[in-house]
Amino acid sequence: MRIGLLTEGGYPYASGESHAWCDRLVRGLTGHDFEVYALSGRPCRDARGGHRLPEHVRRVHGAPLWGDFPAAHLRAAEERRGRTPGRRARRRFTEHFGALVSAFAAAPAGGRPAGREEPPDNAPTSKADRFASGLYGLAELAREHGGLPALLHSEDAVRTLEAVCHGPRALPAAHGAQVNDLLAVAEQLELALRPLSLDWYGDGSAPGLDAVDLCHATSGGAAALPGLLAKRFFGTPLLVTEYGVRLREHYLARAAAPISAPVRALLAAFQGALAAETYAQAALITPGNIHARRWQERCGADRARLRTVYPGMDAAPFAAVADAPADDSRTLVWVGAIEPAKDLVALLHAFAELRRTEPAVTLRIVGGLGRDPQAPGYLAHCRALAAQLFPDEAADARTVGENPVSFEEIGGPDVPALADAYASATVVVLSSVVEGFPRSLVEAMFCGRATVSTDAGAVCEVIGGTGLVVPPRNPRALAEACRALLGDPDRRARLGAAARARALELFTVEQNIAAFRGIYLELMSHAPARPAGRRGRHAEGLPRPFDRPAESHVPGRWAATGAAHRCGAVTGPGAPAGRTPSWAAPEQERGAGARVMSEP
Amino acid sequence: MNAPEGGSARALQDVGEGRDGTGTERDAGLESPAGRPARRGSADPVRALMHRHHTLCAHAVDALEIAAGLEAHGVTDRTAARFRHRDVFSLAEELYARVPRADQNGTAGAPAGGGSAGAPGGGSAAVHGTGPAGGPGAGEGYPEACIPAAGAARAGSPGTGGGWGGRCAAVLQLLPGAVTTATVAALAALTSPPGAATPALPAVPATPAVRTAVGAVGVVLVVLAVRLAVRSGPLRARHHGTGARTTGLWVCWTAGYAVYGDWLLGQLLAGGPDLPSATPRADVATAVALSLAVLPAAGCARWFALRGRRALAASRGLEEFAALVRPLLLGATLLFLGALTALLLGARAALGSHGAPAPAVVAPAALGVLLFLARLLAVHGFPRAAVTGLACAAALEALAPALVLIARLPGLTPLGLPVETLTTAAGPAAVPAVAAGVAALGLLGYGLRALTGACAHSPAPTGPAGTPRP
Repeated sequence: MRIGLLTEGGYPYASGESHAWCDRLVRGLTGHDFEVYALSGRPCRDARGGHRLPEHVRRVHGAPLWGDFPAAHLRAAEERRGRTPGRRARRRFTEHFGALVSAFAAAPAGGRPAGREEPPDNAPTSKADRFASGLYGLAELAREHGGLPALLHSEDAVRTLEAVCHGPRALPAAHGAQVNDLLAVAEQLELALRPLSLDWYGDGSAPGLDAVDLCHATSGGAAALPGLLAKRFFGTPLLVTEYGVRLREHYLARAAAPISAPVRALLAAFQGALAAETYAQAALITPGNIHARRWQERCGADRARLRTVYPGMDAAPFAAVADAPADDSRTLVWVGAIEPAKDLVALLHAFAELRRTEPAVTLRIVGGLGRDPQAPGYLAHCRALAAQLFPDEAADARTVGENPVSFEEIGGPDVPALADAYASATVVVLSSVVEGFPRSLVEAMFCGRATVSTDAGAVCEVIGGTGLVVPPRNPRALAEACRALLGDPDRRARLGAAARARALELFTVEQNIAAFRGIYLELMSHAPARPAGRRGRHAEGLPRPFDRPAESHVPGRWAATGAAHRCGAVTGPGAPAGRTPSWAAPEQERGAGARVMSEP
Repeated sequence: MNAPEGGSARALQDVGEGRDGTGTERDAGLESPAGRPARRGSADPVRALMHRHHTLCAHAVDALEIAAGLEAHGVTDRTAARFRHRDVFSLAEELYARVPRADQNGTAGAPAGGGSAGAPGGGSAAVHGTGPAGGPGAGEGYPEACIPAAGAARAGSPGTGGGWGGRCAAVLQLLPGAVTTATVAALAALTSPPGAATPALPAVPATPAVRTAVGAVGVVLVVLAVRLAVRSGPLRARHHGTGARTTGLWVCWTAGYAVYGDWLLGQLLAGGPDLPSATPRADVATAVALSLAVLPAAGCARWFALRGRRALAASRGLEEFAALVRPLLLGATLLFLGALTALLLGARAALGSHGAPAPAVVAPAALGVLLFLARLLAVHGFPRAAVTGLACAAALEALAPALVLIARLPGLTPLGLPVETLTTAAGPAAVPAVAAGVAALGLLGYGLRALTGACAHSPAPTGPAGTPRP
């Protein structure tokens, strides 16, 4: 079947964490056709010559989420009377945009003095309804008139914003909005709502999201917008995968940027409302860990439609690492990117504590600098601290001594590959105070090593019962845990074996891909008549079962000889009707397929 | 939605208790489970957290932002449990409810969009009236007076770069005037007896063909110079205009009429033209003055844009902003009108032109104001209105000779009456004066509505700042 993969700021243009995951997903699921719809976030990263996309990625659509609206990507409007939107279009725009803005910029019911007179029960639902009606109203406007970017830049938009923000029920922070702030908000909203005006919906000659069977948004926020529209207008099921919650990233990014408080408040409210609408419409939401799941629940996601799918990691490089020998080796290994959040200082103090009773133990700190700007200074500080705490040691009076703590990088003479670092470890330690999904911990588990880690981020969830967990910022507890493991080879071996089994069960790429393969098929089985061209039948009466044979889900051009040619002559090349046998589609519905979006 | 209410109610209670008895050790057991004396003696464990994350909490716009910030600092649900909260979210809600918000005015004056990011003091400067760039006289003194302020106000570009760019633009905007003057001088030299004027040059026979060639080259160069001038500096359109293809045609037509129109209309009214022997008589002074007026136009446009942006930072509502900008627009227009009139009078005096002074100055002045307003509208994102205004003026100006010609047809004589009456009353220059004046008034009326909107002064340029459009 055809998957519309909706990405933002990554695949297939820019490299990054989500890029690697998307790439593995696409390459892993060779049984499906993919169409990639990519929003690129930053201007500088448009180089895509790096690698070739696999063959079953049929089409790649890209659009920038910055700068001017790309005229080449403007949605082909149904009626194009003039270049500028007419009075009727402007009135409709004001109405829908007003609904959208008043839905997200209104103060939440209860707690605030402004919301005193609202009935508290149905207020959230009515807000969400108004947001949805405004959003889809704007989408219809974009389809019919095509001038949505200009309208969002127009004085009408600013006036609507002003009316809502200075109105009685506005957010308290938005009350102080000045004209500058309103302009900035209008501009950001134009960027955020840009997917509504893109030519991705199959209005023109090229097929788009109307022809896909399933939309898979790889993040919330702007990337999910096309999926929302497809869900609304074509009935395409929407799957949302979030490894980092987009809303949370918005908060962190905005807090760092020099933006005034009203702008931040309004944009945050918009993103929150958009996230709520996305979670409400998604057929299934797959957070990457419990942390993301909690955020999604907090933003209104239904618990029944949340399913955690752990990100997959490549286990192949670590497959050759042997199980930990049950000897009395004494090597602690820390692997990661060195930055303040990793709290190496606590690790060094714990190591000092440990060496009071275990003088033979050594510590290897393996890894390069992190992305934090303070990372180089932090590394220097850690080196200095290690030199102060631990003098160089030698076996006897004639040999050259060396420090029990060594700082190494991958690719150096001692650590040619990452797997070697883990292979040399008796115990792998992790001392972070802030952590997302702990990759080094999973890698250690792949290598079958016993681990001691701090309770941060998704550590507890990843490690399960297969390693020791201590509180963060507690060097003594860390030292005690390490001491316990160092003194008990059998326990180390048991924990290591359990960890390896757990990781291979839960965190491999294969598990991730298999999970998504199953989810795709499950969602498809719930969507009775796809693709969108068949929707006319529901309007007339009962759906006709079995009008698509099982072969129609087989990828490739199986129907290229018979039915596709006949249907292609009627609907145009590449239309989804090519997948339907001729007996299943009466002639009058061919025409209905083209204007299915006009139905409510 | 029980959690927010519960959180805030609890927070209020906590605030009350915190005010009453900070000394009571009601949470002592919580703080020191291991028997160690609590390092922080406060009764309220959240208080320390509030203190540590005060900036975050005071600037947060809602509780989720605090939650995101706390998690970025390593606060987890387990940490939140120490503060007797279920999770980070409810802890963040308590913090959001307890920490007073930072002063909104302090942050509201801070730069909002990308455009005014470099000028945090812009608001106060605008409140206090005339800034360094200000004032009448910015038309003539524009290169020196306006550039530093403009460079400082521009967002990304460093001050030196902005200054250099502005100086460059000022030179570019002098270019049309210089080229026109040079062309006029060359033509004058060719017209005068060769031996007297240019003894060094070889005696060029000043045939009409040579003069025409020189004139044509001059016209082409002037057009190129004007094109260069309006694509850089303050006359550069930030928004990618739509449908502005015919603008050049209308500008050329109206300007051409200003130079040759009076002669043409006079010929037509007199029954001419006798085509083989007719040599078009150009209104040289008008051409020189109009091309020189590009510089004050740029100055006025920059003054208007700068003051408009300051008004944007200073005003709270759209009505207030419109009330601030309306006099700015009128002032800029009058300023430019004054500068143009001075240039016209000066040029006429210098070149010794003939004809009745009053309408002959009014017509090019009206045309200049029309062109200025059209460019102002185009610069601020209304190119279609600008084109419409120019096209109206051009159509009116085309209509006048056409009516005269049509009136020659038998039976259609009354059609020529209005033009004849107008010309006999106020001279041939009255026709372009009326045409450009009507169009300029129309554009001014439109501009008073359109240019007083906030969108016309959007601080963030859509393209990269400073680089002229190709």
